[in-house]
Amino acid sequence: MAEGKIKYYSKMLETKEISCSELTESFLTAIENANSDLNAYVKVTPETAMETAKAVDEKIARGEKLAPLEGIPMTLKDNISTKEIETTCCSKILGGYKPIYNATVWETLSASNAVLLGKTNMDEFAMGSSSETSCFGGASNPHNIDHVAGGSSGGVASAVGGNIAVYGLGSDTGGSIRQPASFCGIVGLKPTYGAVSRFGLIAYASSFDQIGPITTTVEDVAIVFDAISEYDKMDSTSQGRKGEPTVNSLKNDIKGMRIGIPREYLDGIKDEVRLAVENACEVYRSLGAEIVYFDLPALKYALPVYYILACAEASSNLGRYDGIRYGYRTESYKDVNEMICKTRSEGFGAEVKRRILLGTYVLSAGYYDAYYKKAQNLRGSIVNAFKNAFQNCDVILAPTVPMTAFEKGNAISDPIETYLTDICTVPVNIAGLPGVSVPCGFDGKGLPIGMQLIGNTFCESRILNAAWQFENAVGSEVFKSSKYGVKI
Amino acid sequence: MKYEMVAGFETHIELATNTKIFCSCTTEFGADSNTHCCPICIGLPGTLPKLNRQAVKYAIMAGLATNCEIANISKMDRKNYCYPDLPKAYQISQYDKPLCEHGYVQLSNGKKIRLTRIHIEEDAGKLIHKRGDTYIDYNRGGVPLIEIVSEPDIRSVEEAKEYVEKLQQIMRYIGISDCKMQEGSMRCDVNISVRPVGSEQLGTRTEIKNMNSITFIGKAMEYEFGRQVDLIESGGKVEQQTLRYDDVTNTTSSMRGKEDANDYRYFRDPDLVTISVTDEEIDELRAKIPELPFQKQERYVSEMGLNEKDAQNIAKYRKIAEFFETASKGIKNPKTAANFIIGQIFRRLETESDKEEFNIAVTAEQLRELIELLDSGKIRNNLAKSTLEKMLDTGKSFSEFISESDLAGMDENTLNELCKKAVEANPKAVADYRNGKQKALKSIVGFVMKESRGRADAAAAEAKILELIG
Amino acid sequence: MVTHEDVLAIARLSKLYISDEELDEMTKAMDDIIKFADTINNAAEEGVEFDNINNLSNAFREDEIVPSYDREEILKNANDIDEGHFLVRKRV
Repeated sequence: MAEGKIKYYSKMLETKEISCSELTESFLTAIENANSDLNAYVKVTPETAMETAKAVDEKIARGEKLAPLEGIPMTLKDNISTKEIETTCCSKILGGYKPIYNATVWETLSASNAVLLGKTNMDEFAMGSSSETSCFGGASNPHNIDHVAGGSSGGVASAVGGNIAVYGLGSDTGGSIRQPASFCGIVGLKPTYGAVSRFGLIAYASSFDQIGPITTTVEDVAIVFDAISEYDKMDSTSQGRKGEPTVNSLKNDIKGMRIGIPREYLDGIKDEVRLAVENACEVYRSLGAEIVYFDLPALKYALPVYYILACAEASSNLGRYDGIRYGYRTESYKDVNEMICKTRSEGFGAEVKRRILLGTYVLSAGYYDAYYKKAQNLRGSIVNAFKNAFQNCDVILAPTVPMTAFEKGNAISDPIETYLTDICTVPVNIAGLPGVSVPCGFDGKGLPIGMQLIGNTFCESRILNAAWQFENAVGSEVFKSSKYGVKI
Repeated sequence: MKYEMVAGFETHIELATNTKIFCSCTTEFGADSNTHCCPICIGLPGTLPKLNRQAVKYAIMAGLATNCEIANISKMDRKNYCYPDLPKAYQISQYDKPLCEHGYVQLSNGKKIRLTRIHIEEDAGKLIHKRGDTYIDYNRGGVPLIEIVSEPDIRSVEEAKEYVEKLQQIMRYIGISDCKMQEGSMRCDVNISVRPVGSEQLGTRTEIKNMNSITFIGKAMEYEFGRQVDLIESGGKVEQQTLRYDDVTNTTSSMRGKEDANDYRYFRDPDLVTISVTDEEIDELRAKIPELPFQKQERYVSEMGLNEKDAQNIAKYRKIAEFFETASKGIKNPKTAANFIIGQIFRRLETESDKEEFNIAVTAEQLRELIELLDSGKIRNNLAKSTLEKMLDTGKSFSEFISESDLAGMDENTLNELCKKAVEANPKAVADYRNGKQKALKSIVGFVMKESRGRADAAAAEAKILELIG
Repeated sequence: MVTHEDVLAIARLSKLYISDEELDEMTKAMDDIIKFADTINNAAEEGVEFDNINNLSNAFREDEIVPSYDREEILKNANDIDEGHFLVRKRV
């Protein structure tokens, strides 16, 4: 699988083996066929897609060279703002909202003729681990539609895993790219905080949110990341990629690379998952890397720290949905205040309300110090703990999720149980680090298992190099294509 | 029992930047509703703020001009409250690390009103209530503000008014705001309490919101002081609350609703980064602070011989002060320039903003030429005054109104002839003078001056007339 | 222990209505979550001051005007508008 889909399709276009219109049509047809099972797309945009495809075909006809992502059919999570195209975060409260501006990532990609097939399903406002809090219902796992695709970027993962998009952009606040990528047996990269512009990404938790690619191969993830990791003056926290394009380092030798495993990451992990990760260690040893186990006690508080801080930010970020300037507004009310309260109460789902309430609580007078302030200080400790860890290892290896994709309907019954599924993914967001999830095996039911490689800030090249070497070494052992989608 | 007033101010001042604090929309006042807006300042989902460098600089200048310490490290926080004029449901402001702290403004009685802090924040939009419907205009949303918070050091309405005027003068002088209260670019919240004279303890305070006229600030404070004293005298208790002042009835009333159960849940805005200012940058801004009105006033009195009142009136407005300084450069007595400004020019500047804008037809250089002429004795004061009036009317130089023969003055023979004529023409005045009425002499001299159209030297004329009738 | 009153108070701040039917369940959920959040207070360490994620400072914009959006665009997504304003009409 070392050869990615992007280069594959790009070559087909350039050699005129297929036209971009034909390629796009075949994806649109596949969506029509598969989406009733997968519920990956919440909005399909055939006109936009065909229009772009036509432009690409004209360019090819003129003999012009294509940019790496030009003409490649793709999708965006429904929290990435697209001008004129409905962007709802899969929430009733944003029903009908059509942004009047483009997110920077989409501005960049559309400038190089990326073919947008549509917007994909997600947990409402990216709050969830199964996509089931979406107002459109959950997205299905392309390997077994009785199971969830994961979340919150479940729609992107379902579409890419189900071959109804070549790649997609998701967002990752506490694992929302890596977890569904892991559940759907594909690759997902959460970049360093600040590597990719957040401008136009509808905020859940601003100091954690990061846009990143979901693809079927490491090479593809690198190509897309390289394309979107530019400094953006519209985002004060943006820095862009540091150093060369990551694709340049994929094939580097990893002999002598020190791969660290914090023991805390292996606590409470399902056996099948732990085994798969241990097997991966063997693969790495065989490639000449060194595996070092160590303790990272600061991780113990990662999950509550994440929920306190992310919900605090969310409670503030989601205050703006008041029915005045955009989105849903309630029918009847007696004054402006009641209009706002009713709009919000009717427009937000239960999980979003829970997180808003928790966030308001931890910031409110009397609780701020015990929760928000304390969590913020522990965030500082976790940042430092990782900094120290990277003195002793080059990358960190860990399971992406303690389990494989759960059955539909099981996720939302107990909020705390659901929160626990994020235990392996949130530390990366807390510390602003890059993390990539790659497939590393299957459970007894044939559902994919993923592992993540975590790097120091702005060290995407290094983790993608390690991920590529693993993928290259194990090949099809850990990857299988779902029955859905385009088979060109 | 006698009571004293204890008051502190929270003053919001719109900064004179070209663009809003977090986006590139213009801050221009008075446009059609919602035409100075973009996705950022109407808070569309996914938008992010980017801080205007100039707003930070202006705020630091405000701090330097009011003797504040400037923080090397500062940050932006979110103040969360939901109201339709606030598109993000939080105002980006500064909570525990403001740009400026511990300053003061000195009043003319020498008292220092301490400033707790000055911070930057964004303005809200505007709500218009019509027949129960709420109309919302976000043009003003995101305009940069500084909030200047004073300690409760103010003890009287006079001090309060002077404090506000001083702030206004200073901010206009350093050019960071036009401070137009009627346009809302300067607004005050007044915290006021009362206590028995001699007591050190602070009473329960009320806050009168959004005052936009110095006159009304005075009236509202007087009313509120009286109300609180009456309340306590009659055995009641002052309730801590937010008040609105009604300028028609001249009363204050409680403003419930917006302030219901406020808990702003301040936290650092994760969309913005640390503001770090070096000492060198602070020094650069310090160098941009011009001589301030009270400093000028002092200098006008001590070095230029003006009286306190004239010095204050001229120093109060930056453009007038500059005009005065240019016009009096190299002049024997700067007071002459001051007299022309206060006598002839001020009459043409009726309102505060006329004085602020100072649009007159005469340049400071032109006035100086006129004064030089006067000082050289070539023309008399009356002619100078009337000429200045004509210059102000037309914008033309003095040479248009003063002929060569005017400048030549008057030879002795002509003066003698004129004096003789005056004595002949005013027999009654001559008789009166001879009967001991000193005043009568003046009217004879006046006749000479009138006949000569101001060219005659009044002192010489008086001497000649005395010679003739004495 | 999170009480009904606590939930109603934070709901008011959050501009959310919690119906009588929802109140028990929401209070229970909040109590569970707060207990879970409370585990951070068992941490022996005080932690260290956290600034921002990459310790960035001074991301400024120059004070240069960019033309604003057309009013039509600005008002386009609103539920109700009149005379160039966003509008919340009085209802009976």
